[in-house]
Amino acid sequence: MSNQSTTQAHDAHSDHDDHAGHEHFIANWKMQIGILAALLFLTALTVGFYNFEQWVETAFEVTLPKWVNIAGAMSIATVKAILVAAFFMQLKYDKALNTFVLLFCLFCVALFLTFSMIDLGSRDWVDPVKAPAISAGGTSAGLDAVAADEDFSVLLTNKINTGGLSLVEYSRLHGNENEHGLLYYREKGQEATFWEHFYDGHAVHRDSMDEHNFFEQLGYGHHEQTSTANESHPRHGLTPGLFSDVPASTGHTDDGHGGGH
Amino acid sequence: MTTIDTNTSGVPARILQSPKHWRNRKHEPHWRSGDEEFDAAKLGMWLFLSTEVLLFAGIFCGYAIFRMLYPEAWANGSHYLDWRMGAANTAVLLISSWTAANAVRLAQLDKQFWFKINIIVTIICALIFVGVKFTFEYGVKLPQGKAPGAFFSYPNAHDVHEPLWWSLYYVGTGIHAFHVIVGAILFGVVLWYAQRHQAYGPTQYTLVENSALYWHIVDLIWIFLFPLLYLIH
Repeated sequence: MSNQSTTQAHDAHSDHDDHAGHEHFIANWKMQIGILAALLFLTALTVGFYNFEQWVETAFEVTLPKWVNIAGAMSIATVKAILVAAFFMQLKYDKALNTFVLLFCLFCVALFLTFSMIDLGSRDWVDPVKAPAISAGGTSAGLDAVAADEDFSVLLTNKINTGGLSLVEYSRLHGNENEHGLLYYREKGQEATFWEHFYDGHAVHRDSMDEHNFFEQLGYGHHEQTSTANESHPRHGLTPGLFSDVPASTGHTDDGHGGGH
Repeated sequence: MTTIDTNTSGVPARILQSPKHWRNRKHEPHWRSGDEEFDAAKLGMWLFLSTEVLLFAGIFCGYAIFRMLYPEAWANGSHYLDWRMGAANTAVLLISSWTAANAVRLAQLDKQFWFKINIIVTIICALIFVGVKFTFEYGVKLPQGKAPGAFFSYPNAHDVHEPLWWSLYYVGTGIHAFHVIVGAILFGVVLWYAQRHQAYGPTQYTLVENSALYWHIVDLIWIFLFPLLYLIH
């Protein structure tokens, strides 16, 4: 009977003479079930690795380096992805063009990720003052570290003692205490507020040696200049926080700097 | 097993004579052959799939950036998730990926009965995946206040950036769950035409192949989302 169905398939091909004798690849079911078993095994392996790592950390009271966790999980995921793409998606047996499409796409993804990471990870190499912006735990510009004074001079060290409460709970309880209490920053957007004050203090570039302040004259001193549909204003200097509100454009174009028109 | 294989003798004439039956379907006239039509459709599908990869690459990139900026929030966020749910859903998706690949093979061999069974299993797996996600993950976390961004109200948070973690979690898994639902609908369409017209067979299975490819890419994305969200801390 199985022979018969195979014969049917061949008959069907010969019915369509314009197929020019080309046969599509038909997967082997044994291979497919083997791939499934391998994928399930690798899933168990990655979960096992995760739990083993947790166990090692608690049993031996050590802290494993972060890359162990990431490298373990991502390398297993990559092997799984290759298995799925090569055998279930049949790239191994398919036209090379389809593989090329996928690989080119992955190349673009790699560019995308790499340059984002290089940008973020190397800002302090160029300008050490930018290091806190990518320090572990973030900028500390959030609820737990709102500086008592407005100019954020002690921003990175002056942490609020929440008395054992969670940060969110604490801010909810104490948010209304005063005008510059936590709620003030929450409502305005903490990071927006932070960068607003930060820029007020840094309107002149920190490293600027020119007494004429060309930085300012070029129009880079005021962070209010944002790009609009009709004019683009590149933002120089310290990158604002990721969540800062984009200030409304002042709309002036007569500042000798306009970007592309 | 071989006795269940359909052949033309047991099939009602209504289906055999349907213009949508795979034996009665020819390639569109603007193609030189059915093969060219098939290859072009498949290449088009691959181009679409690459845009899907790029869509999720944005989420992966956001994950990487925010993890770099707020490692504590990300570590906490990962510990809020139950790896067992993620692993179970991974197994469900892998099995459905296998049945989808099986469906393609069975359509190529004209084994209509088992072809439909595999499509049905794939759809059931899709529903299980979405059901687990909505019932045991979203349905448990949202009432606790572990909600994205401004909706966050979980009282025991330990890092101010946890709302951001939940935003990324819900966007990433939400878009993925949407793709799962779309895949289930695609296979529903395939099942409908297979049942009604025996529309897919050795010479006509483009929609089966492309639906399966789509399904595999959904699986592939979950293969990366699962360790990133559940295992890496």
